[in-house]
Amino acid sequence: MRSILENNGVFPTILASTVHDIKNSLGTLLELIRQAAAKQNDQATEFDQLEFEAQRINHSLMQLLVMYKIDARKFSLVIEEHVVADIIKEAIDQQARLSRLHNIDLQVVCDEDLMCFCDYPVISNGLASVLNNALRYTKNTVLISATEDSGYLRIAIEDDGDGYPQKFLTADLSNSGELDWVSGNSGLGLYFVSVMACLHKDADKTGYVQVDNQSSLGGARFTLYLP
Amino acid sequence: MSFSLTGKNILIVEDNPVFRKAMRDMLYGLQADIVTEADNGIAAINAMTKSTFDIVLCDYNLGQGKNGQQVLEEARHRKLIDYRCVFVLISAEQSASAVLGAMDSKPDDYLTKPFNAQQLLSRLTKHFVRKNYLVSIEKSLAKGDLAQAIRHCDALLEVGDKKMQMQLLKTRAELAISAGDFDKARQIYQDVLAQRELPWARMGLGVIDFQNNNIEQAIAGFQSLVADNPMLMECYDWLGKAYEALDQFTQVENVLQQALQLSPQSILRQKKLAEAADKNGNLEAAEKAYKSVVKLGKHSVHGSCADFAGLAKLYAKTNATDEALKTLAAMRQEYANQPEAELRASTLEVDVFKAQGKDELSQKALQKTLELCESLGNKVPKDAQLDVVKTCLLSDEHGIAEEMLHDLIHANIDDEQFLNDLRRMQSDIGMHNHSEILIQKTKQALIATNNKGVALYKQGRFKEALDLFEQAIQTMPDNKTIIVNMLKIMIHDLKVNEFCEEKNQRTINLFKKAKQIGVDQHKLGILQMEYAKLRHSQLAKH
Repeated sequence: MRSILENNGVFPTILASTVHDIKNSLGTLLELIRQAAAKQNDQATEFDQLEFEAQRINHSLMQLLVMYKIDARKFSLVIEEHVVADIIKEAIDQQARLSRLHNIDLQVVCDEDLMCFCDYPVISNGLASVLNNALRYTKNTVLISATEDSGYLRIAIEDDGDGYPQKFLTADLSNSGELDWVSGNSGLGLYFVSVMACLHKDADKTGYVQVDNQSSLGGARFTLYLP
Repeated sequence: MSFSLTGKNILIVEDNPVFRKAMRDMLYGLQADIVTEADNGIAAINAMTKSTFDIVLCDYNLGQGKNGQQVLEEARHRKLIDYRCVFVLISAEQSASAVLGAMDSKPDDYLTKPFNAQQLLSRLTKHFVRKNYLVSIEKSLAKGDLAQAIRHCDALLEVGDKKMQMQLLKTRAELAISAGDFDKARQIYQDVLAQRELPWARMGLGVIDFQNNNIEQAIAGFQSLVADNPMLMECYDWLGKAYEALDQFTQVENVLQQALQLSPQSILRQKKLAEAADKNGNLEAAEKAYKSVVKLGKHSVHGSCADFAGLAKLYAKTNATDEALKTLAAMRQEYANQPEAELRASTLEVDVFKAQGKDELSQKALQKTLELCESLGNKVPKDAQLDVVKTCLLSDEHGIAEEMLHDLIHANIDDEQFLNDLRRMQSDIGMHNHSEILIQKTKQALIATNNKGVALYKQGRFKEALDLFEQAIQTMPDNKTIIVNMLKIMIHDLKVNEFCEEKNQRTINLFKKAKQIGVDQHKLGILQMEYAKLRHSQLAKH
């Protein structure tokens, strides 16, 4: 059996189809949870937790699928000019339930006229997964800010939690060869966003990601730079 | 801006009852009050024929039958939705390019499952704002008034809304290409590229090269684009077109194979591949492609009986006569009571039955073919006519064959690709160069007529020139060069002589005719712009 799969190179394709199938089931599952939650208001928190976990599986599967496509050369970004505020709004919309759930003060500082060149769904999904983490680990507040910074668009997500663990702070995020730090959901999420950032190029500039604990709020700070 | 779903006519197309309910609840929660549901593609199309929707939310994967892409294609093709409708395609697939790549017409937006109410509302708001902003341009285009669309676009560019600038520039460049104003389009693309390397602008430059007949340069541009953007499917199509223009069908086949490996669902691309492989004698590849076309055609507005005929012809070529007849039987079932299908079937049966030694059946099929051909007249597509000619030549019906050849050559004398098909057909049956003399003679006659007409026009003898072309068009109906020349003269006539309603009406009819016979938009665009300018100053006088 093993040799058949190897010889024809079918494993990646089967993997992709399987992931797709799981994703479809998961989508149905998520909807059923939402509908059940709507009916039973008193147990809302448990349903919310269920939905949150299902969302997390969904995100991981989505990232896996995109990675497969990049590997199979079936992926290219669709770069267009977009309003930065729209991208941030999309990420916040995706995580709306979670921020309500944890009663978090979500602040946005972004000029309405700020524009950037990027793949809209790729970047908004990436930001959503980072935001998801911030919402989980923060105490009270999450701040999303966007500005122009010497030829790059700079989007930062900061919180007032305990900050990133040491292994992320010392990791070389743009080096896909060194992956010791990639484990757990936040590690995978960071890895994914940094790969997506790297795919954004303009002339001699390439997108990248930085993480540190220098937030003005006192917690973790994630920064995405797009050329 | 306040935006509400109240009063918006919304269609949900989704086969999964759980998601359908979820979307319905979501929409009602967002104050929507007119929501229609369809659980399959045919039901969706039926709903769209009955009602005009402002929003269509359509899942990509609809189980059996049409998929979301085919629903969109059919809705646009049959004009069931127009520029005011926001069509959102929904799928579990994350990357837009994987799904959208196969599509010949793009939806307004693409949403990944699962999504929540806030996401949906933000997206819809964005699209209504955008459509509202561009409505003056789209409205003019829907009326066919290119000049007015350009005026509106320029006016919006003048306002200088930074958020809309890129979209407007892209639209403006496309309008310039439609109007045959390549310099303007090139300038826009180059300005955009100076700011940022964007694939659509790079591709636009390639298209201009192609239209200017700089085919080699266009190919080089398209090739480097697909190397950097492997999922830019449109670019493969342009590459294919460029190679086709050079009559390099091996390259056409390669390019399309490459594209279809990445996204195998596009029926039009499969069709092109089948034809190219067939021309190259790669019968195995052609068979595979034709089979895909037939399969995809079952639920697609682009499916046609010609696909079945193509596959059957291929079988006939390899003497797989049983397979050929089976395919024709399937075609008769799928396209019951369609004379064109019957004509294609009986034409092929002449050869197939003959190959099987069933001469009587072959004779019968020939009779039927000729009868159908006669009764359908010029409604028969030219490729089917060519098949009939071939059958006639092989069945010693030379009189009819020559008559048809004469008409076909006269009608299509400026369609070099069709003439090549005709030459190829004759070579295949051992009649190499059979019609070459007629082709050359017809070409010369056309050139002579054009020269004479243009000379008369230059002398100011408009009426004589027009009469000459009018006469020529009797023997060469649907000839694009003549129609374009006539249009040029009519417009000039209207410009220098007194405006007259009868001439004006004739001009309008000629424009219609030019569109109908497929004169290249950019050639027509130049004339449309000139005519629009004329009408503008005419109306200003009154």
